[in-house]
Amino acid sequence: MTNNFKNIPNQLVLATVLEATNTGIVITDNLLPDNPIIYCNPAFEQLSGYPRDEIIGHNCRFLQGKDRDQAERQKIRSAIDKGENCVVEIRNYTKEGKLFYNELYLSPVKDEEGGITHFVGVQNDVTSRKKVEQALEFNRAETEQKVMDRTRMLKESEEYLSSIIETIRESLVVLDRDYVILDVNNHFLNTFKVTINETKGRTLYDLGNGQWDIPELKKMMTEILPTNNPVLDYEVEHEFPHIGKKTMLLNAHRVEFEGQFKDRILLAIEDITERKAIEQRKDDFLSIASHELKTPLTTIVGFMQLMSRLMPENASPKFVSAFDKTGTHVTRLNQLLSELLDMSKIQTGNIELHKDLFDFDRMVGETVEGLLAATPSSKISVEGSTGTRVYGDESHMIQVLTNLISNAIKYSPDSDEVNVHLSQVSNFVKVSVTDRGMGIHADELKKIFGRFYRVRSTQKSFPGMGIGLYICEQIVKNHGGTLWAESKVGEGSTFSFTLPIHGGRENGDV
Amino acid sequence: MGMSKKVMICDDDAGILEMMEMLLDEFGYEVVTEQDSTRALKTLEEQLPDLLLLDIWMPVIAGDQVLRNIKLNPEVAAIPVIMYSASTEGATIAAGAGADDFISKPFNLEEMEAKINSLLKKERN
Repeated sequence: MTNNFKNIPNQLVLATVLEATNTGIVITDNLLPDNPIIYCNPAFEQLSGYPRDEIIGHNCRFLQGKDRDQAERQKIRSAIDKGENCVVEIRNYTKEGKLFYNELYLSPVKDEEGGITHFVGVQNDVTSRKKVEQALEFNRAETEQKVMDRTRMLKESEEYLSSIIETIRESLVVLDRDYVILDVNNHFLNTFKVTINETKGRTLYDLGNGQWDIPELKKMMTEILPTNNPVLDYEVEHEFPHIGKKTMLLNAHRVEFEGQFKDRILLAIEDITERKAIEQRKDDFLSIASHELKTPLTTIVGFMQLMSRLMPENASPKFVSAFDKTGTHVTRLNQLLSELLDMSKIQTGNIELHKDLFDFDRMVGETVEGLLAATPSSKISVEGSTGTRVYGDESHMIQVLTNLISNAIKYSPDSDEVNVHLSQVSNFVKVSVTDRGMGIHADELKKIFGRFYRVRSTQKSFPGMGIGLYICEQIVKNHGGTLWAESKVGEGSTFSFTLPIHGGRENGDV
Repeated sequence: MGMSKKVMICDDDAGILEMMEMLLDEFGYEVVTEQDSTRALKTLEEQLPDLLLLDIWMPVIAGDQVLRNIKLNPEVAAIPVIMYSASTEGATIAAGAGADDFISKPFNLEEMEAKINSLLKKERN
């Protein structure tokens, strides 16, 4: 201290500085009992709200009011005992009892022997700073709490999501835009017999020595998905080295946020190998069963035809009627078996198309004639013409047309009029079969082409297996055409189909 | 009736054989039946019928194989053969094996009679 002040002329200048500064300063005399204040400047009076005469002679502690349990006091005490400097922020109270935060610098003044004679306290009201600090601290704590809450919620929803992901019996793969695997679920690992370490961070096509390098999968991911998001029910068959042949149904979804592609692709893989095998067994069974049933039926039909030839001239009408009815039902049984056989063939993809050019209008005319002969009470009219030969399987077309017209007659118990309309539309022929029958409800229109589907209201009065329209649609599809229905309940239905005149697109044999 | 034509039928199903035997008899033919497709060729060689009706779906040796074996034996290769089956693919199989005609199950009596007669007439000429 001495050195710093050696050029300052006299004590008066220092006193003037003390009096003029706006920092509160007190000096205590450590040699007197209880270390009383012997000097305070006007700034300290201002700060504490006490006049000078109420300050001099008191120990500093009066500033703390009743707030005596502050940790800072211990710090001050220790500094005084050791004769060291210290800085504390302490809660003080003005004369009016108003709290202020006092930033106190405490310095001992020592004599030549090192004995402490005085303490100088330099004081600043830092209440506003303290308040900002406290507000900040409060905000920080609050933010921290919020972050913790949020983290917990996130964790909970993450747990929730991951428990869903781990529970479902479908393989899930998350990929980035370069088809690098970011994550997979356990079902994927179990199904495809790989570990997480062999999976994460690899590209899909490198996975398991390239066993996922499947051309159809690549095509789906790189060609179809970018323009058709999401891709659903994409069937891929693949022979895996260890687990064998798998049939998989793939659903791929590019994760988009507000219409923008982010960098995640979700790939769901459903293993339908088992299901396919079961379907195959069922179709095989259908095929064998209907085939086996045809043999005794053939015997019955043969014997009936023989009986018809041997029928005596004078057979009673009752006998003839019973015989005829037997014949009708045997024919129906044969029809049902044929449908079953057809369906099993369609299901297994074994249906053979014997395509050739045939006169479409003649085919329709002959089919209608045949049906008129079988059901003389019905009135089937043919309008329009296609005027063309069509490349297709004529016997299958006869089957479709017969089925549609028979249905039209069957489901129009109160009207016997059926109209068949023929036209050529661009490079297609179009056939529409219209009846004035009971019609079909809108919600059933789409389902009637399903396998074994029967319109509910007709189940009892019109027996059948519900596979006729299914077969028709498959046949038309196999020819590259479409079959559809329009209907109004109570007014009737129109079933239409189109066929490409020169055969379907897939025909390399044209 | 020394003039009556001999028709042989080979089918693994006893019911079909019994029915066909009666039916062909009614048509006025002499009938030979064979239920075992492994013996079909031997019976054919022994009986030398004017026509063979041959089922396609038979156990052990299927009809199309029986027919191929027949075609390898000059003594019987010329005997006309009508194959039959319940499925439409049968026609393709029959044609592929070298059958003269095909009928589908269940049989239409008129159709069958016409096809048999037509082949027998052709053979006579």
